[in-house]
Amino acid sequence: MLKKFFKKISLRTKSDETSKPAAQVEFLMDFLSKHNYIFSNDFGENLEILKKKHLVDSFLVTNFDGSIIVSSSIDSNANSITCTAMLSYIKSEIPDSDAVLIKRENNWLMLFTLDKKVFIVEAGSELSSLELKALAFELSGLLEENKSFLKEKQLTREKNG
Amino acid sequence: MVRVITIASGKGGTGKTTLTANLGICLSRLGKKVLLIDADVAMANLSLILGMQSSPITLHDVLLGEAQVHDSIYDGPQGIHFIPSGLSLDNYKRVDSERLSSIVKELEDSYDYILLDAAAGIEKNVLSAFCASQETLLVTMPTSPAIADALKTKLVAQRLGSKVIGVVINFVMGEKGEITKQETSSILELPIYGSVPYDSEVRKSFMQQNVAPVSIRKPDAVSSKEFLKIASRLTGLKVQENIVEKKGFFSRLFSKFRKK
Repeated sequence: MLKKFFKKISLRTKSDETSKPAAQVEFLMDFLSKHNYIFSNDFGENLEILKKKHLVDSFLVTNFDGSIIVSSSIDSNANSITCTAMLSYIKSEIPDSDAVLIKRENNWLMLFTLDKKVFIVEAGSELSSLELKALAFELSGLLEENKSFLKEKQLTREKNG
Repeated sequence: MVRVITIASGKGGTGKTTLTANLGICLSRLGKKVLLIDADVAMANLSLILGMQSSPITLHDVLLGEAQVHDSIYDGPQGIHFIPSGLSLDNYKRVDSERLSSIVKELEDSYDYILLDAAAGIEKNVLSAFCASQETLLVTMPTSPAIADALKTKLVAQRLGSKVIGVVINFVMGEKGEITKQETSSILELPIYGSVPYDSEVRKSFMQQNVAPVSIRKPDAVSSKEFLKIASRLTGLKVQENIVEKKGFFSRLFSKFRKK
């Protein structure tokens, strides 16, 4: 009892002028829900999630001949041919080049290759090659998943006649 | 199998380097083979905390391709190994931190734990550390600005493929205005690996003729005990809770007289 009494006194006498910033805690509690990047079964939707997650405006994946594998923007035909040709030229002149970054008026265009594919990324600010690779790995994963999903779908369709 | 863990926080001054040093020492005490890498190539100071500031070959030299990685490894206290970053500003702008991943890969077979002490912020050097590690342990303080930065750091680490395993809350003073352990855990959606009380012994550790981390200088200090708990948790050992005793009024009063 005596201990409790003195404990109370010690708590009262201890000067603690702080108080919790409740509004800030509430704001922070809600932060991650706005940045939830959970992929679904919808490939198109997943591309949009990937764009948001990696903070880019659009991306385009092509073969070396310029044929499009996947694109997150509607107007991508012209970009795919020009960018692939430009990257091939730079690679032929500077064989150990990793990525090509082009500063445009309002944004950046970034070109690089990975696993025999050409990645063309458009964003408001330039991404480091680490960030570009992280995006490419995740995008390649999504493409593989989609490939096997489509294959499975085709097999089921064939089975059902 | 090796665990490569980046210690990051976003905000500066949260105690990343102190945690890295003490965690490394505690893991070594638990019988693990530990390598610490100072991945803060611009503002390196892990070597100062370990009391190992005069190392001729550093991570800078390895990243510049001017030295072999094995030549940059030094024997640290308590059996740990350590790769320092250069303290001078001469080279850091020339350093390509993206090569960190390949350096870490080269060393993976020789250790149980490789801890990377990341810089503050989310600049390229920090991104390199995330890319080089499979896991990230966040450090924060019980205040909203520190937790806000930890949130952003978590998102960046995940974006770069490093799994964020948990958070350590540092400088806990038990004041009413502090964000609690439970709140921090729900905000960050992460388990709490430890809650390190504010301990003047940590500060005093830097103010000695022979600088050594608090876990070596004062193994019985409250912070040292908590660092050991965090290390135990990392290794999956059962952790004894409530090691830190709450002091009553009289013991606090007497301790004040003792200090004088």
